[in-house]
Amino acid sequence: MTALYDVKNLSVDLTLPQGLVGMLLPGSKPKLNLLKAISLTLNQSETFGLVGESGSGKTTLARAMLGLLPISGGQLAFEGQPLTSSRSFTPLRRRAAMMFQDATASLSPRMTVGALLAEPFHIHRQPLPDPNAMAASLLARVGLPAAIAGRFPHELSGGQARRVGVARALALNPALVIADEPTAGLDVSVQGEVLNLMTALKADLGLSLMIITHNLAMVRHVSDRIAILYLGRLMETGPTRAVFARPAHPYTQSLIASEPQPDPRKRRTGPAISGEIPSVLNRPAGCAFHSRCPRAAALCRHTTPELRDLGQGRAAACHFAELT
Amino acid sequence: MTAPVPLLSVENLTITYASDAGPVQALRAAHLTARAGEVIGIVGESGCGKSTLASALINLLAANARVTSGAVRLRGQDILTLPEDAKRAIRGRHIAMVFQDPMTSFNPVLPLGAQLTDFQHHLPQTRAEKRTRARAMLARVGIPDPDLVLTRFIHELSGGMRQRAAIAAALLMTPDVLVADEPTTALDVTMEAQIIHLLRALRADHQGTILIVTHHLGVIGELCDRVYVMYAGQVVEEATVDDLYHAPRHPYTRALIACDPAHLETHTPVLPTIPGHLPDLTAPPPGCSFANRCPLVTSRCHTAPPPWVRLSDTQAALCHEVAP
Repeated sequence: MTALYDVKNLSVDLTLPQGLVGMLLPGSKPKLNLLKAISLTLNQSETFGLVGESGSGKTTLARAMLGLLPISGGQLAFEGQPLTSSRSFTPLRRRAAMMFQDATASLSPRMTVGALLAEPFHIHRQPLPDPNAMAASLLARVGLPAAIAGRFPHELSGGQARRVGVARALALNPALVIADEPTAGLDVSVQGEVLNLMTALKADLGLSLMIITHNLAMVRHVSDRIAILYLGRLMETGPTRAVFARPAHPYTQSLIASEPQPDPRKRRTGPAISGEIPSVLNRPAGCAFHSRCPRAAALCRHTTPELRDLGQGRAAACHFAELT
Repeated sequence: MTAPVPLLSVENLTITYASDAGPVQALRAAHLTARAGEVIGIVGESGCGKSTLASALINLLAANARVTSGAVRLRGQDILTLPEDAKRAIRGRHIAMVFQDPMTSFNPVLPLGAQLTDFQHHLPQTRAEKRTRARAMLARVGIPDPDLVLTRFIHELSGGMRQRAAIAAALLMTPDVLVADEPTTALDVTMEAQIIHLLRALRADHQGTILIVTHHLGVIGELCDRVYVMYAGQVVEEATVDDLYHAPRHPYTRALIACDPAHLETHTPVLPTIPGHLPDLTAPPPGCSFANRCPLVTSRCHTAPPPWVRLSDTQAALCHEVAP
């Protein structure tokens, strides 16, 4: 398998707003570090799961990968082409599509579904001989009747809006679709339909899928490989089955153990993890997770662990990863 | 076992909402019983009527809602037919609610201390004494620095702390019935585990009953003693939490549990779904509401309303095809 998208050592900083004095004074501007030293590879025709709690930087990473946010360090390469300037992202955006988190809000309320499906062609100046036929075929591909093309976004149900989002992402035959929380807010019976549709399309069209989610129960079944983020740092990455079978990072272990169990015979006795995710404004020194980690030692409080290669495509950023 | 008057019972409750398309039958002959000390789960997908039922319990139905039949009884007394001031005396004091979004259940421009004091307006104590009670309750729900939180506004707290504060507010008047509508849906998985743990700890010193309204089978499995499953405005199954997971009888309950990715032990790339749609609740079908999606459907399911079949002391289902 060849790499479709290569992220090396990516950092994203946010320049903080400052007062008049700060503007006049020379020197460096205060910065908030959102992502640091993120390296990951998306392979051809695989489903990659990006997992983390709110504020872990999942969406920021996806936006940076599509050039929607300026990056402050590291290299990005799509299909072997380095993405260095904002102009170099233009061809990428034709080949990589994003499904945003709020499916209904990401569709313009004054445009019909048909017009929304034609929009990517206009933006990228692609030929569109018969917009109606194209809309009908895209809608058919995601299992919606052609009559939906005449509706406005507010007339769609949550599941239908999600399907229109999939159809719009597929319009230009992308190589990569990034789906931000594709099942948030959907009922469990509809969630399966949307994911199965995406999995089937992935197989039919040979595209790669990156699913951003906090839903571990779901990502465990649909993804081939996963990466776990915490406070903008990569904690663990590897093949999904291996990570779930034997999580190497204490954070991954606590996440898996926190999932509520529908089987009352498997009830847990206490919460797997105490405390709250710290603010990025007040990031702990050393390992970002040490303030909540059951295994934290003195070393973790001052030294940031590097991502360690554990073999078989696995890696974890923990001083004690090899001991698990 | 002689059954005294249960703490809370819902009998044959039917509620319709006025809409442009005609009355929507959101709740049809719903019923439940809750005894002191029990934790009851009400589970179902969007549109099943669980939130309408929760609003009826706390007497906060929308303006376009109409109770066409039935009763909600607190210690035998119907609270839906009481005059408005008597309803107000019950709300908060005897039946309290924790809403899904704690951000909107507090006033954004008053510090929490003032609100938690005002919530106790039924009590004779002085404001200073009420503030001490509020402080003790915040400490009880696991807020590490209650004195500081009393001076804070709701937006200054994190999501998990907000939900803890909302639970503290609901428990201040030591209500007989605590209704929690999707109490963990807005939270991350590690926070969710902590709130579940808190609710479990609170039931030990809470004399009344707790009703958990949720779509999440994991929350049901971790917290509840008995469960009511709702579909299209009706209660379709009643069971102990163990029977519900290990021996569900209604075809909808079975399908719902089968859909939950947390239920699947082995890697399942294609997730199970429930094909079909909810019936139109402006004109519910004459037979069983689940008939058009049911694997066990026979011709009578389309024509005759299903019977409520008692299967054991604790289990019953609304279905033609279950045999006792």
